[in-house]
Amino acid sequence: MSWIDLIGFGEQGRGGILLWAMGMTLAVTAASLCIGAALGAVVAAAKLSASRPARWLGDAYTTVFRGAPELLIIYLVYFGGSQAVTAVGRWLNYEGFLGLPSFLAGAVAVGLISGAYQAEVYRGAYQAVSRGELDAARSIGMGTLLRLRRILVPQILRFSLPGLGNVWQLSLKDSTLVSVTGLAELMRTSQIAAGSTKQYFLFFIVGGALYLVLTTLSDRVFNFAERRVARSFRHGLGRH
Amino acid sequence: MSIRNLVAASALFAALAAPASAKEWTEVTIALEGAYAPWNLTDANGKIVGFEPDLTEYLCAHAKLKCTLISQDWDGMITALNAGKFDVIMDALSITPERKEVIDFTVPYAATPAVFAAPKDGELANLAGTGSVIKLADTSDGAEAIAPLKTALTGKTIGIQAATVYAKFIYDNFKDVAEIKEYKTSAERDLDLSAGRIDAGFDDATYFLGAFESADNAGLAFTGPEIAGPIWGEGEGLGIRKSDPELKALFDEAIKAAVADGTVKKLSEKWLKVDVTP
Repeated sequence: MSWIDLIGFGEQGRGGILLWAMGMTLAVTAASLCIGAALGAVVAAAKLSASRPARWLGDAYTTVFRGAPELLIIYLVYFGGSQAVTAVGRWLNYEGFLGLPSFLAGAVAVGLISGAYQAEVYRGAYQAVSRGELDAARSIGMGTLLRLRRILVPQILRFSLPGLGNVWQLSLKDSTLVSVTGLAELMRTSQIAAGSTKQYFLFFIVGGALYLVLTTLSDRVFNFAERRVARSFRHGLGRH
Repeated sequence: MSIRNLVAASALFAALAAPASAKEWTEVTIALEGAYAPWNLTDANGKIVGFEPDLTEYLCAHAKLKCTLISQDWDGMITALNAGKFDVIMDALSITPERKEVIDFTVPYAATPAVFAAPKDGELANLAGTGSVIKLADTSDGAEAIAPLKTALTGKTIGIQAATVYAKFIYDNFKDVAEIKEYKTSAERDLDLSAGRIDAGFDDATYFLGAFESADNAGLAFTGPEIAGPIWGEGEGLGIRKSDPELKALFDEAIKAAVADGTVKKLSEKWLKVDVTP
Protein backbone atom coordinates (compact mmCIF):
# COMPACT_ATOMS: atom_id res chain seq x y z
CA MET A 1 0.00 0.00 0.00
CA SER A 2 1.42 3.40 -0.99
CA TRP A 3 1.97 6.22 1.47
CA ILE A 4 -0.71 8.25 -0.31
CA ASP A 5 -3.24 5.49 0.44
CA LEU A 6 -2.13 5.39 4.08
CA ILE A 7 -2.65 9.10 4.74
CA GLY A 8 -5.61 9.45 2.38
CA PHE A 9 -9.33 9.15 3.02
CA GLY A 10 -9.91 5.73 1.44
CA GLU A 11 -10.76 2.48 3.21
CA GLN A 12 -7.22 1.99 4.53
CA GLY A 13 -6.40 5.68 4.82
CA ARG A 14 -5.95 7.43 8.14
CA GLY A 15 -6.58 10.96 6.90
CA GLY A 16 -9.99 11.16 8.58
CA ILE A 17 -8.68 9.99 11.95
CA LEU A 18 -5.76 12.43 11.77
CA LEU A 19 -8.07 15.36 10.97
CA TRP A 20 -10.37 14.36 13.84
CA ALA A 21 -7.32 14.23 16.12
CA MET A 22 -6.29 17.67 14.88
CA GLY A 23 -9.71 18.93 15.95
CA MET A 24 -9.23 17.28 19.34
CA THR A 25 -5.88 19.05 19.74
CA LEU A 26 -7.54 22.38 18.93
CA ALA A 27 -10.37 21.66 21.37
CA VAL A 28 -8.00 20.77 24.24
CA THR A 29 -5.89 23.86 23.55
CA ALA A 30 -8.92 26.17 23.34
CA ALA A 31 -10.41 24.73 26.54
CA SER A 32 -7.07 25.08 28.33
CA LEU A 33 -6.72 28.69 27.14
CA CYS A 34 -10.16 29.52 28.57
CA ILE A 35 -9.33 27.85 31.90
CA GLY A 36 -5.96 29.61 31.87
CA ALA A 37 -7.59 32.98 31.11
CA ALA A 38 -9.83 32.73 34.17
CA LEU A 39 -6.96 31.59 36.39
CA GLY A 40 -4.55 34.10 34.87
CA ALA A 41 -6.88 37.02 35.50
CA VAL A 42 -7.32 36.05 39.16
CA VAL A 43 -3.60 35.45 39.67
CA ALA A 44 -2.66 38.70 37.91
CA ALA A 45 -5.09 40.57 40.19
CA ALA A 46 -3.48 38.85 43.19
CA LYS A 47 0.02 39.81 42.04
CA LEU A 48 -1.06 43.44 41.59
CA SER A 49 -2.92 43.50 44.90
CA ALA A 50 -1.92 45.66 47.85
CA SER A 51 -2.27 42.59 50.08
CA ARG A 52 1.04 40.86 50.75
CA PRO A 53 -0.47 37.33 51.22
CA ALA A 54 -2.32 37.69 47.89
CA ARG A 55 0.89 38.76 46.14
CA TRP A 56 2.76 35.88 47.74
CA LEU A 57 0.11 33.36 46.59
CA GLY A 58 0.17 34.79 43.06
CA ASP A 59 3.97 34.58 42.93
CA ALA A 60 3.91 31.03 44.30
CA TYR A 61 1.39 29.94 41.64
CA THR A 62 3.35 31.37 38.71
CA THR A 63 6.66 30.05 40.07
CA VAL A 64 5.33 26.50 40.52
CA PHE A 65 3.40 26.18 37.27
CA ARG A 66 6.02 27.83 35.09
CA GLY A 67 8.84 25.92 36.77
CA ALA A 68 7.47 22.38 37.09
CA PRO A 69 7.70 20.03 34.07
CA GLU A 70 4.45 20.03 32.08
CA LEU A 71 4.32 16.23 31.95
CA LEU A 72 4.49 16.03 35.74
CA ILE A 73 1.56 18.43 36.09
CA ILE A 74 -0.48 16.41 33.58
CA TYR A 75 0.20 13.19 35.51
CA LEU A 76 -0.68 14.85 38.82
CA VAL A 77 -3.97 16.19 37.49
CA TYR A 78 -4.89 12.99 35.61
CA PHE A 79 -4.11 10.51 38.39
CA GLY A 80 -4.30 12.75 41.44
CA GLY A 81 -7.50 14.39 40.23
CA SER A 82 -9.22 11.03 39.86
CA GLN A 83 -8.10 9.94 43.32
CA ALA A 84 -9.32 13.21 44.81
CA VAL A 85 -12.72 12.90 43.11
CA THR A 86 -12.98 9.25 44.21
CA ALA A 87 -12.12 10.24 47.79
CA VAL A 88 -14.88 12.87 47.76
CA GLY A 89 -17.24 10.22 46.36
CA ARG A 90 -16.37 7.82 49.19
CA TRP A 91 -17.01 10.60 51.68
CA LEU A 92 -20.46 10.96 50.10
CA ASN A 93 -20.97 7.17 50.40
CA TYR A 94 -20.33 6.38 46.72
CA GLU A 95 -18.22 3.23 46.56
CA GLY A 96 -17.10 3.08 42.93
CA PHE A 97 -14.25 4.83 41.15
CA LEU A 98 -14.84 8.33 39.85
CA GLY A 99 -12.39 9.40 37.20
CA LEU A 100 -11.61 12.68 35.49
CA PRO A 101 -12.13 12.14 31.75
CA SER A 102 -8.91 12.40 29.73
CA PHE A 103 -10.12 15.52 27.92
CA LEU A 104 -10.99 17.34 31.13
CA ALA A 105 -7.78 16.27 32.89
CA GLY A 106 -5.71 17.40 29.90
CA ALA A 107 -7.51 20.73 29.54
CA VAL A 108 -7.22 21.47 33.28
CA ALA A 109 -3.53 20.50 33.42
CA VAL A 110 -2.55 22.57 30.37
CA GLY A 111 -4.90 25.31 31.65
CA LEU A 112 -3.02 25.46 34.96
CA ILE A 113 0.25 25.91 33.08
CA SER A 114 -1.28 28.37 30.63
CA GLY A 115 -2.79 30.32 33.55
CA ALA A 116 0.65 30.94 35.03
CA TYR A 117 1.91 32.43 31.76
CA GLN A 118 -1.31 34.36 31.13
CA ALA A 119 -1.08 35.90 34.61
CA GLU A 120 2.25 37.46 33.66
CA VAL A 121 0.83 38.64 30.32
CA TYR A 122 -2.15 40.34 32.01
CA ARG A 123 0.04 41.84 34.72
CA GLY A 124 2.33 43.37 32.10
CA ALA A 125 -0.66 44.61 30.10
CA TYR A 126 -2.21 46.24 33.18
CA GLN A 127 1.04 48.00 33.96
CA ALA A 128 1.17 49.30 30.38
CA VAL A 129 -2.19 51.09 30.74
CA SER A 130 -1.64 54.83 31.14
CA ARG A 131 -2.15 55.94 34.76
CA GLY A 132 -3.25 59.34 33.42
CA GLU A 133 -6.32 57.82 31.76
CA LEU A 134 -7.33 56.08 34.96
CA ASP A 135 -6.85 59.27 36.98
CA ALA A 136 -8.88 61.24 34.44
CA ALA A 137 -11.68 58.67 34.58
CA ARG A 138 -11.66 58.82 38.36
CA SER A 139 -11.75 62.63 38.31
CA ILE A 140 -14.87 62.76 36.12
CA GLY A 141 -16.63 60.45 38.56
CA MET A 142 -16.41 57.08 36.77
CA GLY A 143 -17.12 54.19 39.13
CA THR A 144 -14.81 51.18 39.50
CA LEU A 145 -16.90 48.89 37.27
CA LEU A 146 -17.29 51.51 34.57
CA ARG A 147 -13.53 52.21 34.60
CA LEU A 148 -12.93 48.50 34.34
CA ARG A 149 -15.35 48.08 31.42
CA ARG A 150 -14.52 51.21 29.45
CA ILE A 151 -10.80 51.69 30.07
CA LEU A 152 -8.99 48.82 31.76
CA VAL A 153 -10.37 45.67 30.08
CA PRO A 154 -10.20 46.96 26.46
CA GLN A 155 -6.63 48.18 26.90
CA ILE A 156 -5.48 45.12 28.82
CA LEU A 157 -6.85 42.95 25.99
CA ARG A 158 -5.11 45.12 23.42
CA PHE A 159 -1.74 45.02 25.19
CA SER A 160 -2.01 41.32 26.05
CA LEU A 161 -2.85 40.02 22.55
CA PRO A 162 0.77 39.47 21.40
CA GLY A 163 1.56 37.67 24.67
CA LEU A 164 -1.62 35.59 24.43
CA GLY A 165 -0.56 34.52 20.93
CA ASN A 166 2.64 33.13 22.42
CA VAL A 167 0.74 31.42 25.25
CA TRP A 168 -1.60 29.82 22.69
CA GLN A 169 1.36 28.41 20.76
CA LEU A 170 2.87 27.11 24.01
CA SER A 171 -0.42 25.45 24.98
CA LEU A 172 -0.75 23.95 21.51
CA LYS A 173 2.62 22.28 21.95
CA ASP A 174 1.91 21.31 25.58
CA SER A 175 -1.24 19.56 24.37
CA THR A 176 0.99 16.89 22.77
CA LEU A 177 1.82 15.69 26.28
CA VAL A 178 -1.87 15.05 27.00
CA SER A 179 -1.37 11.90 24.88
CA VAL A 180 -0.16 10.16 28.08
CA THR A 181 -3.76 10.20 29.36
CA GLY A 182 -4.83 8.14 26.34
CA LEU A 183 -6.69 11.05 24.74
CA ALA A 184 -6.63 10.60 20.96
CA GLU A 185 -5.20 14.01 20.08
CA LEU A 186 -2.86 14.54 17.14
CA MET A 187 0.35 13.29 18.79
CA ARG A 188 -1.19 10.09 20.17
CA THR A 189 -3.04 9.39 16.93
CA SER A 190 0.20 9.78 14.96
CA GLN A 191 1.96 7.40 17.38
CA ILE A 192 -0.84 4.84 17.11
CA ALA A 193 -0.87 5.05 13.31
CA ALA A 194 2.92 4.68 13.24
CA GLY A 195 2.91 1.69 15.60
CA SER A 196 -0.02 -0.01 13.88
CA THR A 197 1.26 0.32 10.30
CA LYS A 198 5.00 0.29 11.11
CA GLN A 199 5.29 3.40 8.91
CA TYR A 200 6.98 5.50 11.57
CA PHE A 201 8.57 8.25 9.50
CA LEU A 202 5.48 8.76 7.41
CA PHE A 203 3.13 9.37 10.32
CA PHE A 204 5.58 11.38 12.40
CA ILE A 205 6.21 13.64 9.40
CA VAL A 206 2.47 13.96 8.69
CA GLY A 207 1.81 14.67 12.38
CA GLY A 208 4.54 17.31 12.38
CA ALA A 209 3.16 18.89 9.21
CA LEU A 210 -0.33 19.09 10.72
CA TYR A 211 1.07 20.77 13.85
CA LEU A 212 2.84 23.23 11.57
CA VAL A 213 -0.47 23.97 9.84
CA LEU A 214 -2.07 24.64 13.24
CA THR A 215 0.70 26.90 14.49
CA THR A 216 0.94 28.83 11.20
CA LEU A 217 -2.82 29.40 11.03
CA SER A 218 -2.89 30.40 14.71
CA ASP A 219 -0.13 32.90 14.07
CA ARG A 220 -2.12 34.43 11.20
CA VAL A 221 -5.28 34.65 13.33
CA PHE A 222 -3.47 36.40 16.18
CA ASN A 223 -1.69 38.81 13.82
CA PHE A 224 -5.04 39.66 12.22
CA ALA A 225 -6.63 40.20 15.64
CA GLU A 226 -3.76 42.46 16.72
CA ARG A 227 -4.14 44.59 13.58
CA ARG A 228 -7.90 44.86 14.04
CA VAL A 229 -7.61 45.88 17.69
CA ALA A 230 -4.87 48.41 16.93
CA ARG A 231 -7.00 49.90 14.14
CA SER A 232 -10.09 50.19 16.32
CA PHE A 233 -8.02 51.95 18.98
CA ARG A 234 -6.67 54.43 16.42
CA HIS A 235 -10.23 55.13 15.25
CA GLY A 236 -11.39 55.50 18.83
CA LEU A 237 -8.66 58.04 19.57
CA GLY A 238 -9.66 60.10 16.55
CA ARG A 239 -13.28 60.46 17.67
CA HIS A 240 -14.06 63.65 19.71
CA MET B 1 -25.28 -3.72 79.42
CA SER B 2 -23.65 -0.36 78.74
CA ILE B 3 -24.39 1.57 75.55
CA ARG B 4 -20.80 1.06 74.36
CA ASN B 5 -21.05 -2.74 74.74
CA LEU B 6 -24.43 -2.76 73.04
CA VAL B 7 -23.06 -0.84 70.04
CA ALA B 8 -20.02 -3.13 69.84
CA ALA B 9 -22.17 -6.27 70.01
CA SER B 10 -24.53 -4.92 67.34
CA ALA B 11 -21.63 -4.07 65.05
CA LEU B 12 -20.11 -7.53 65.51
CA PHE B 13 -23.46 -9.22 64.82
CA ALA B 14 -24.00 -7.10 61.70
CA ALA B 15 -20.53 -7.91 60.42
CA LEU B 16 -21.04 -11.64 60.90
CA ALA B 17 -24.59 -11.72 59.60
CA ALA B 18 -24.07 -9.63 56.47
CA PRO B 19 -22.69 -11.63 53.56
CA ALA B 20 -19.62 -10.15 51.89
CA SER B 21 -21.09 -8.21 48.97
CA ALA B 22 -19.39 -9.60 45.88
CA LYS B 23 -19.49 -7.20 42.95
CA GLU B 24 -21.64 -8.37 40.06
CA TRP B 25 -19.71 -7.65 36.86
CA THR B 26 -21.67 -7.04 33.66
CA GLU B 27 -19.61 -4.34 31.93
CA VAL B 28 -15.83 -4.11 31.76
CA THR B 29 -13.43 -1.58 30.24
CA ILE B 30 -10.22 -3.10 28.91
CA ALA B 31 -7.17 -0.94 28.13
CA LEU B 32 -4.72 -1.80 25.37
CA GLU B 33 -1.90 0.24 23.88
CA GLY B 34 -3.45 0.07 20.43
CA ALA B 35 -0.02 0.34 18.82
CA TYR B 36 1.80 -2.86 19.81
CA ALA B 37 1.30 -4.82 16.61
CA PRO B 38 0.48 -7.64 16.16
CA TRP B 39 -0.73 -8.08 19.75
CA ASN B 40 -2.95 -5.03 19.45
CA LEU B 41 -3.08 -2.30 16.82
CA THR B 42 -5.50 0.32 15.55
CA ASP B 43 -6.99 0.05 12.07
CA ALA B 44 -7.86 2.89 9.69
CA ASN B 45 -11.33 3.22 11.25
CA GLY B 46 -9.92 3.66 14.75
CA LYS B 47 -10.91 0.12 15.81
CA ILE B 48 -8.46 -1.82 17.97
CA VAL B 49 -7.65 -5.16 16.32
CA GLY B 50 -5.04 -7.90 16.74
CA PHE B 51 -4.41 -11.05 18.74
CA GLU B 52 -5.55 -9.61 22.07
CA PRO B 53 -8.75 -7.90 20.84
CA ASP B 54 -9.75 -11.15 19.08
CA LEU B 55 -9.05 -13.12 22.24
CA THR B 56 -10.99 -10.55 24.28
CA GLU B 57 -14.06 -11.22 22.16
CA TYR B 58 -13.92 -14.89 23.13
CA LEU B 59 -13.13 -14.22 26.81
CA CYS B 60 -15.91 -11.68 27.24
CA ALA B 61 -18.47 -13.90 25.52
CA HIS B 62 -17.42 -16.80 27.75
CA ALA B 63 -17.61 -14.67 30.91
CA LYS B 64 -20.90 -13.08 29.74
CA LEU B 65 -19.45 -9.59 29.97
CA LYS B 66 -19.99 -6.53 27.81
CA CYS B 67 -16.44 -5.36 27.13
CA THR B 68 -15.29 -1.97 25.87
CA LEU B 69 -11.75 -1.66 24.51
CA ILE B 70 -9.93 1.62 25.01
CA SER B 71 -6.51 2.79 23.88
CA GLN B 72 -4.15 3.87 26.67
CA ASP B 73 -0.53 5.01 26.71
CA TRP B 74 1.87 2.34 28.02
CA ASP B 75 3.41 4.85 30.45
CA GLY B 76 1.40 4.86 33.64
CA MET B 77 -0.93 2.05 32.56
CA ILE B 78 -0.75 0.26 35.92
CA THR B 79 -1.22 3.55 37.79
CA ALA B 80 -4.25 4.31 35.61
CA LEU B 81 -5.72 0.86 36.38
CA ASN B 82 -5.41 1.46 40.12
CA ALA B 83 -6.82 4.97 39.69
CA GLY B 84 -9.97 3.39 38.26
CA LYS B 85 -9.59 4.65 34.69
CA PHE B 86 -10.43 1.17 33.39
CA ASP B 87 -10.89 -2.33 34.81
CA VAL B 88 -8.40 -4.53 32.96
CA ILE B 89 -5.01 -4.17 31.26
CA MET B 90 -4.47 -6.40 28.23
CA ASP B 91 -1.22 -5.34 26.61
CA ALA B 92 1.20 -8.28 26.48
CA LEU B 93 1.70 -7.59 30.18
CA SER B 94 4.15 -10.06 31.70
CA ILE B 95 3.28 -11.47 35.10
CA THR B 96 6.14 -10.53 37.44
CA PRO B 97 6.59 -10.52 41.23
CA GLU B 98 7.16 -6.73 41.20
CA ARG B 99 3.92 -6.07 39.36
CA LYS B 100 2.07 -8.58 41.55
CA GLU B 101 2.78 -6.31 44.50
CA VAL B 102 0.56 -3.59 43.03
CA ILE B 103 -1.97 -5.44 40.86
CA ASP B 104 -3.47 -8.90 40.45
CA PHE B 105 -3.04 -11.07 37.38
CA THR B 106 -5.20 -13.70 35.78
CA VAL B 107 -3.73 -17.03 34.75
CA PRO B 108 -1.51 -16.47 31.68
CA TYR B 109 -3.06 -16.50 28.21
CA ALA B 110 0.31 -16.44 26.41
CA ALA B 111 3.97 -17.17 27.01
CA THR B 112 6.49 -15.82 24.54
CA PRO B 113 10.27 -15.87 24.24
CA ALA B 114 12.38 -12.72 23.91
CA VAL B 115 15.27 -12.18 21.55
CA PHE B 116 17.84 -9.68 20.31
CA ALA B 117 17.45 -8.03 16.92
CA ALA B 118 20.21 -6.34 14.96
CA PRO B 119 20.93 -5.19 11.39
CA LYS B 120 21.32 -8.19 9.06
CA ASP B 121 24.56 -6.86 7.64
CA GLY B 122 26.04 -5.58 10.93
CA GLU B 123 28.72 -7.14 13.09
CA LEU B 124 26.09 -8.47 15.52
CA ALA B 125 24.24 -10.45 12.84
CA ASN B 126 23.86 -14.21 13.40
CA LEU B 127 25.43 -14.38 16.83
CA ALA B 128 26.16 -17.82 18.28
CA GLY B 129 22.93 -19.66 19.03
CA THR B 130 20.76 -17.84 16.48
CA GLY B 131 17.70 -19.98 15.82
CA SER B 132 17.97 -21.96 19.05
CA VAL B 133 15.99 -21.50 22.28
CA ILE B 134 17.44 -21.35 25.78
CA LYS B 135 15.17 -21.69 28.81
CA LEU B 136 16.05 -19.68 31.88
CA ALA B 137 14.46 -19.85 35.30
CA ASP B 138 16.02 -16.61 36.54
CA THR B 139 18.98 -14.32 35.95
CA SER B 140 21.48 -16.25 38.06
CA ASP B 141 20.48 -19.50 36.40
CA GLY B 142 21.31 -18.04 33.00
CA ALA B 143 24.78 -16.65 33.68
CA GLU B 144 26.53 -19.38 31.70
CA ALA B 145 24.06 -19.41 28.82
CA ILE B 146 24.19 -15.63 28.47
CA ALA B 147 28.00 -15.40 28.63
CA PRO B 148 28.52 -15.53 24.82
CA LEU B 149 25.93 -12.76 24.38
CA LYS B 150 27.68 -10.61 27.00
CA THR B 151 30.96 -11.02 25.16
CA ALA B 152 29.42 -10.14 21.80
CA LEU B 153 27.59 -7.08 23.19
CA THR B 154 30.52 -5.64 25.14
CA GLY B 155 30.87 -1.96 24.29
CA LYS B 156 27.65 -1.96 22.25
CA THR B 157 24.41 -0.03 22.75
CA ILE B 158 21.23 -2.00 23.48
CA GLY B 159 17.79 -0.42 23.03
CA ILE B 160 14.80 -1.46 25.14
CA GLN B 161 11.28 -0.26 25.85
CA ALA B 162 11.14 1.29 29.31
CA ALA B 163 9.28 -0.36 32.21
CA THR B 164 9.16 -3.84 30.68
CA VAL B 165 10.43 -7.21 31.93
CA TYR B 166 12.94 -7.08 29.09
CA ALA B 167 14.35 -3.82 30.42
CA LYS B 168 14.93 -5.46 33.81
CA PHE B 169 16.65 -8.45 32.18
CA ILE B 170 18.98 -6.23 30.16
CA TYR B 171 19.88 -4.09 33.17
CA ASP B 172 20.48 -7.17 35.34
CA ASN B 173 22.76 -8.82 32.79
CA PHE B 174 24.32 -6.22 30.50
CA LYS B 175 24.64 -2.92 32.37
CA ASP B 176 28.31 -3.63 33.17
CA VAL B 177 29.32 -4.38 29.59
CA ALA B 178 26.99 -2.37 27.32
CA GLU B 179 25.32 1.01 27.13
CA ILE B 180 21.56 0.73 27.62
CA LYS B 181 19.14 3.15 25.99
CA GLU B 182 15.47 3.25 27.02
CA TYR B 183 12.60 4.19 24.74
CA LYS B 184 8.99 5.13 25.40
CA THR B 185 7.79 2.67 22.74
CA SER B 186 9.31 -0.31 20.94
CA ALA B 187 8.58 1.43 17.63
CA GLU B 188 10.85 4.36 18.55
CA ARG B 189 13.62 1.92 19.47
CA ASP B 190 13.24 0.20 16.08
CA LEU B 191 13.74 3.53 14.30
CA ASP B 192 17.08 4.02 16.06
CA LEU B 193 18.06 0.41 15.43
CA SER B 194 17.39 0.72 11.70
CA ALA B 195 19.21 4.05 11.61
CA GLY B 196 22.28 2.49 13.26
CA ARG B 197 22.10 4.73 16.31
CA ILE B 198 22.01 1.65 18.53
CA ASP B 199 23.54 -1.76 17.88
CA ALA B 200 20.84 -4.14 19.09
CA GLY B 201 17.29 -4.19 20.38
CA PHE B 202 15.76 -6.66 22.81
CA ASP B 203 12.05 -7.46 22.85
CA ASP B 204 9.32 -10.03 22.56
CA ALA B 205 10.07 -12.35 19.61
CA THR B 206 6.49 -12.11 18.34
CA TYR B 207 6.67 -8.32 18.38
CA PHE B 208 9.83 -8.39 16.27
CA LEU B 209 8.28 -10.83 13.79
CA GLY B 210 5.59 -8.24 13.10
CA ALA B 211 8.05 -5.36 13.06
CA PHE B 212 10.28 -7.05 10.47
CA GLU B 213 7.39 -6.96 7.98
CA SER B 214 7.69 -3.18 7.74
CA ALA B 215 9.83 -1.68 4.99
CA ASP B 216 11.51 0.53 7.62
CA ASN B 217 12.73 -2.58 9.46
CA ALA B 218 13.53 -4.75 6.44
CA GLY B 219 17.23 -4.65 7.31
CA LEU B 220 16.75 -6.17 10.78
CA ALA B 221 16.78 -9.80 11.90
CA PHE B 222 16.92 -11.97 15.03
CA THR B 223 20.38 -12.56 16.41
CA GLY B 224 21.42 -14.92 19.17
CA PRO B 225 19.20 -17.51 20.84
CA GLU B 226 15.59 -16.92 21.81
CA ILE B 227 15.30 -16.70 25.59
CA ALA B 228 12.26 -18.41 27.07
CA GLY B 229 11.11 -19.88 30.35
CA PRO B 230 10.07 -18.69 33.81
CA ILE B 231 12.55 -15.79 33.68
CA TRP B 232 9.70 -13.81 32.06
CA GLY B 233 7.34 -14.83 34.82
CA GLU B 234 4.41 -17.10 34.18
CA GLY B 235 3.69 -15.47 30.83
CA GLU B 236 1.36 -12.67 29.79
CA GLY B 237 -1.82 -12.20 31.80
CA LEU B 238 -4.59 -9.68 32.27
CA GLY B 239 -3.83 -7.02 34.88
CA ILE B 240 -6.69 -6.49 37.34
CA ARG B 241 -7.02 -4.39 40.51
CA LYS B 242 -6.44 -6.29 43.75
CA SER B 243 -9.85 -5.08 44.89
CA ASP B 244 -11.63 -7.00 42.08
CA PRO B 245 -11.18 -10.74 42.81
CA GLU B 246 -14.57 -11.57 41.26
CA LEU B 247 -13.46 -10.15 37.93
CA LYS B 248 -10.18 -12.07 38.11
CA ALA B 249 -12.12 -15.30 38.73
CA LEU B 250 -14.36 -14.67 35.69
CA PHE B 251 -11.39 -14.10 33.39
CA ASP B 252 -9.36 -16.98 34.89
CA GLU B 253 -12.12 -19.37 33.96
CA ALA B 254 -12.49 -17.88 30.46
CA ILE B 255 -8.72 -18.02 29.78
CA LYS B 256 -8.52 -21.65 30.91
CA ALA B 257 -11.32 -22.46 28.47
CA ALA B 258 -9.58 -20.56 25.63
CA VAL B 259 -6.36 -22.48 26.26
CA ALA B 260 -8.15 -25.83 26.55
CA ASP B 261 -10.24 -25.54 23.39
CA GLY B 262 -7.37 -24.28 21.22
CA THR B 263 -8.64 -20.70 20.79
CA VAL B 264 -5.33 -19.22 21.99
CA LYS B 265 -3.42 -21.49 19.59
CA LYS B 266 -5.65 -20.60 16.63
CA LEU B 267 -5.61 -16.83 17.26
CA SER B 268 -1.90 -16.63 18.02
CA GLU B 269 -1.01 -18.55 14.87
CA LYS B 270 -3.24 -16.19 12.89
CA TRP B 271 -1.77 -12.97 14.32
CA LEU B 272 1.63 -13.83 15.77
CA LYS B 273 2.59 -16.61 13.33
CA VAL B 274 3.54 -18.84 16.29
CA ASP B 275 1.66 -20.73 18.98
CA VAL B 276 2.04 -18.84 22.26
CA THR B 277 -0.18 -21.13 24.35
CA PRO B 278 1.30 -21.08 27.88
